[in-house]
Amino acid sequence: MNNKELDPVTFEVLKNAFGNLVDQMSEQVLRTCYSFVIYCRDFSSALCDANGDTIMQGSQDIAVHVGTLHLTCKAILRAFGDDIHEDDIFIFNDPYEGGTHFCDVRVVKPVFHEGEIVAFTLSNGHWADVGGKVPGSFDITAREHYGEGTRITPIRIWDQGRYLGDVADCLVANMRGTEDRLGDLRAQAEACKVGEREFLRLIEKYGVDTVLAAARECQDYVERIARSRIAEIPDGEWETVDFIDQDPDQEEGLIPIKVKMTIKGDQVHYDLTGSNPIVGCFLNSAFPATLSSLVAGSKAFFPDIPLNAGFFRVFDVTVPEGCVANAPWPVAVTGFCSGVYEKAQAAVIELWSELMPQRALGCAFNLEYLLIGGWDRRPGFDSFFMWYDWMAGGHGGRSSKDGSNGTAAVFGLGLSIQPCEGQERLTPVLTAEHSILMDSAGPGKFRGGCGLTKGGTVMSCDGSVMSYCCDRARSIAFGIWGGLPSIPQGLWKNKGKEDEAFLGAIFSGVPVEAGDTFTRPSAGGGGLGDPLERDPEMVLEDVIDGYVSIERAKKDYGVVVIENDPVMLDYEIDTEATDKERAYIRENRVAWMRSDPKEVQQMLANGEIDEMDVVRRYGVVMDWGQKTVLPKSTAQFREMLEKRTISHWS
Amino acid sequence: MAKYRVAVDTGGTFTDVFIFEEDSGEVIVQKVPSTPSNPSEAIVAGMAKAEVPMDQVQLFSHGTTVGTNALITRNLPPTGMVNTKGFRDVIEIRRSTKPDLWDHYKDVAPPHVPRRHRLEVTERMDYAGEAVTPLDEAEARQVAEVFKQRGMAAVAICFMNSYMNGAHEERMKEIISEVMPGAYVCTSSELLPDIFEHERFSTCVVNAVLGPVVSDYLQDLVGKLKDLGYAGDILVLHSGGGVMKAETVTSYASRIASSGIAAGAIAMNQTAQLCGFENAMGLDMGGTSTDISLTYGGELRMANEWQVEFGYPIMYPSIEVITIGAGGGSIAWVDPGGSLRNGPQSAGADPGPACYQTGGTEPTNTDANLVLGRLNTNLLEGGMQISKEAAEAAVQKIADQYGMSLVEAAHSIIKVAEANMCDALRLISVQRGYDPRDFALVGFGGAGPLHAAYLARELEIPTVIIPRYPGVHAALGCLLVDVRHDLQRTYLATSAGTDIAEIESIFQDLETEATELLAEEGMTGDDVELIRLMDIRYIGQWRQLSVKVPKPITTLDDALAVFHAEHERQFSWSNPDQVVEIYGLRVTAIGKVPMPSIQTGTAGEGAPEPKEVRSVFSESEGDFVETPVYRRRDLAAGTELAGPAIVEQLDTTTVIPVGVGARVDEYLNIIMDISG
Repeated sequence: MNNKELDPVTFEVLKNAFGNLVDQMSEQVLRTCYSFVIYCRDFSSALCDANGDTIMQGSQDIAVHVGTLHLTCKAILRAFGDDIHEDDIFIFNDPYEGGTHFCDVRVVKPVFHEGEIVAFTLSNGHWADVGGKVPGSFDITAREHYGEGTRITPIRIWDQGRYLGDVADCLVANMRGTEDRLGDLRAQAEACKVGEREFLRLIEKYGVDTVLAAARECQDYVERIARSRIAEIPDGEWETVDFIDQDPDQEEGLIPIKVKMTIKGDQVHYDLTGSNPIVGCFLNSAFPATLSSLVAGSKAFFPDIPLNAGFFRVFDVTVPEGCVANAPWPVAVTGFCSGVYEKAQAAVIELWSELMPQRALGCAFNLEYLLIGGWDRRPGFDSFFMWYDWMAGGHGGRSSKDGSNGTAAVFGLGLSIQPCEGQERLTPVLTAEHSILMDSAGPGKFRGGCGLTKGGTVMSCDGSVMSYCCDRARSIAFGIWGGLPSIPQGLWKNKGKEDEAFLGAIFSGVPVEAGDTFTRPSAGGGGLGDPLERDPEMVLEDVIDGYVSIERAKKDYGVVVIENDPVMLDYEIDTEATDKERAYIRENRVAWMRSDPKEVQQMLANGEIDEMDVVRRYGVVMDWGQKTVLPKSTAQFREMLEKRTISHWS
Repeated sequence: MAKYRVAVDTGGTFTDVFIFEEDSGEVIVQKVPSTPSNPSEAIVAGMAKAEVPMDQVQLFSHGTTVGTNALITRNLPPTGMVNTKGFRDVIEIRRSTKPDLWDHYKDVAPPHVPRRHRLEVTERMDYAGEAVTPLDEAEARQVAEVFKQRGMAAVAICFMNSYMNGAHEERMKEIISEVMPGAYVCTSSELLPDIFEHERFSTCVVNAVLGPVVSDYLQDLVGKLKDLGYAGDILVLHSGGGVMKAETVTSYASRIASSGIAAGAIAMNQTAQLCGFENAMGLDMGGTSTDISLTYGGELRMANEWQVEFGYPIMYPSIEVITIGAGGGSIAWVDPGGSLRNGPQSAGADPGPACYQTGGTEPTNTDANLVLGRLNTNLLEGGMQISKEAAEAAVQKIADQYGMSLVEAAHSIIKVAEANMCDALRLISVQRGYDPRDFALVGFGGAGPLHAAYLARELEIPTVIIPRYPGVHAALGCLLVDVRHDLQRTYLATSAGTDIAEIESIFQDLETEATELLAEEGMTGDDVELIRLMDIRYIGQWRQLSVKVPKPITTLDDALAVFHAEHERQFSWSNPDQVVEIYGLRVTAIGKVPMPSIQTGTAGEGAPEPKEVRSVFSESEGDFVETPVYRRRDLAAGTELAGPAIVEQLDTTTVIPVGVGARVDEYLNIIMDISG
């Protein structure tokens, strides 16, 4: 223990008390918030020291806010300096100065003791709408932040206890659901007060010096553990790349995000030099969100270490300005979560998987938001509606077991999906299916988790549009150590009808009317290890449960399953045929992966193969609507496969 | 002829028996090891040990972990599930969350029914309960045939929007019952006509898998007790804090999944009320964990949902109990960052604390308490010797890491354990808007009385109550409850557009249903009490509050006034001008069971003699002080003690710290005054 004034008991008591304090703040938000997005746990709480550095974050906070909360606090300090007073409360959402995107609205309150700032409490929540062109404030076509939503630079919203209603009203006047937004603001402000009250109670009981020493020690303690773990890893340099699907301003081609990790002693350095310049849509990320993705990706390998400034100190980060991961004002960044964030995080997870195989993880499905908004014309309804949906999907295969099926995005594992029954009551959208998608998991010795499929029918409505914020229709969730990719993401409108259309993984403002149907998968996770080494018994069990079809058991795993009696679940493995099939695949698979993409396109057109073969057997990326090869994307995708998959096949 | 009332609480380790003779007030307590493979064997053994003639038993009530254990061990009968086409994976997808956000290798338990046994039929209701697609009867029959051929013992029927219209589910149930008579079949709408598919389906599935388990168990128990000569009813405690008759339990099996945990909370509440405290918290500390509960204004705090395993909620009102991994056997350790931790790993009964010398070498709370002199080396009234040297050797490991003395280390271990318990007490009180200073703390379980006074001091709780038989106190909870049923209906309307007549009529329907349930259990007339509750929230908000409403309901105003006041108390704000939304209507039906009256003890003469004086560590003195040790049975009503003092009984030790005054009340509870 470095702090002599602290005995181990007082420290442990105060450390737990700080954790309890932020969880109390979270509970307050959960019970009184108005945004269903917040209610589904897209929020976080923090206690920061007088410099703005995090002392403790909530135990259930979602990953995407990690590592940005202190930047928010510092932005307030930078803007107001000495002009911060007791019972002031501030509001902020500026991604360029320390936020993530405009929807993540942060409320910050200083905690004063005898006239001095001793701490800050902070509550961050994803408001369901912050204005801008489209309902839900996800405008894929935005190039600049103007029109995306309301940008809130640091401003005061309570002035020494006096509520500045005019300021608040001006802010929410720019947002849909004005009253609800004021409700969220109040819920978050109350949460900050709960944190303040608890912190002052601790000071009253233990004395200000002891509490502040414990706060410092909390950070030092976390730093100590983190450094001791990093120091155990031999020094070295590792690099990898993941991709965003495309830049709509350019010809087809994947958009690289390069991550180089250097470990030296007990310090980790990430360098994103060489990543693509900013792209012509809102999937860019400003620096704070990129920092978060790198730290949160690393955190998956240190699950037991509490989150605070001490953990962040172990990492330093270089991201050249102007690159897709460090977009300067006023470049649009609202879709960072589906774009840069997922990719940088996946890259970091892949790097650490090499260093800590016991916690290895293949790539997961991509976070997605689907929005349908317009005027509800069901009998008895005459009001604006917004169907704002996100899916669970498959996580990557692991070194000792399969990936988990249908789980929240790695971007925020606490983010719960919404019940369809609630959605159907509130909006004119009838869900046709919400279930596990057979064969969606990336094959591997340990397969990825299964993805889902969800779609439905638009019922009586007027003036309605649909927007989608997703990715990985082309940069498909990858496997590692010889594992295979899962399936492309992207939405189909009126599939199977005359006017069917593949709208892709990002689009905005597509008109919809009563009777239109839509469906989209969330991908499965990428596989881990060579699928031909998967225990045939595990493949058999997957067939019995309908996670894998008999056809793909043969094609992806080389396991031939005979169906004797499906009613009695009587299936068996044809051992001889399996040996033969596995030998056949082993002999040809590298050549398949290197064959001419044009021929693959022709085979698909002839009906000799299907889309899953295109991806998993031939490593070809297509425009899935036109069923035509994307040559540059395919070349990049295959280069990736050579390294992550083919080089591991014996 | 004597008139006995028997309460049996089956726990994971012990089966506790608490017997009460109505006329004399005589109390018999027994503790026998539980027999998890067939829990009724321990009950028979306990009754034999208690030597009570079974034909003189008037009433037998029972709290059991048989449901919880079946769920945790997944020792469940083959069960099928049938869903609306396109929705068979609802219970696998859940709400998609994980309890540990960062550990990608820690998984949520798989669903209770594997995917292969989840089948689909074509049918669909919309949000308004209109059939968008009719039930395909041919498919329904096919599904039933498949389940029959697969030998399913139970089937859960879970369709979309069935909370608005359960007709398709009911028809499906008829078909399954026709094809497979004798199978246990339940529908989500009959159990819980409430919105949100996963929560309703999950409740229904838990009910289906437990149905056969619970009915087999109760049938066996009824038979065994009959053989012993008992012919009366068996009342089973459910998580809502009431009892149901054994026959009713079969239909609502998921309600008794936390039967055992509720018992302690009920006993706590009863004891607090008896001692004149309307507000109290319960600290039920055993070998591996501590259960914390709260009663306010004489009513136990309830939660509207609970779960045995993460991700599979059971949506019945349930007594709120917070369980933390802090018990006598919890292990103290130093983490890689140098922080002193306590639990949740526990030495349990095997290998046990170091001082038991049964293989454990890590320092536990029991070891630390022994080093501090709070525990005797001679436990169970001479039935068990424990080793102080072994305890010291274990605690020394912690001392060495920090360069502390042995006693400092022992004290530090206890302080960390107590801090964890304080956090849990704070969670259920401060975090819910209750001020601990308005409460009493009831300490029980094997280890609760060792720590209760220190926790109370930390949280400024002015009073501590230690019941007469802390070790088996929870069993008393089974003895003192009424029959209780909770029914609910989704009802959505704003306070501006509410039809009071319609609400009144729904309440009346629910009451009729509840009255019929109670009548089947033989309860009518004055024995029946019906309570109406309304779920309300501000428009736009996501969580609702349940508030009691008058009967008959003629205006909303009273209900709204209660809602605004409760919202203000819990969340520090309210706005009576804002429109609110009514979300659901509930009826709680209580069938009164005659309560035994607890006899009072006679006042003793003069001060009791301590059995010994020993050196015990005092926190306030920072050193060991000579402390008198009393036998609990020597403490007559009216006895006054001044701390420091220790009170020992069969399986529990009570610590009265320096500066704390204690008295023994007429029910022989020890009441400590911590306010000084």
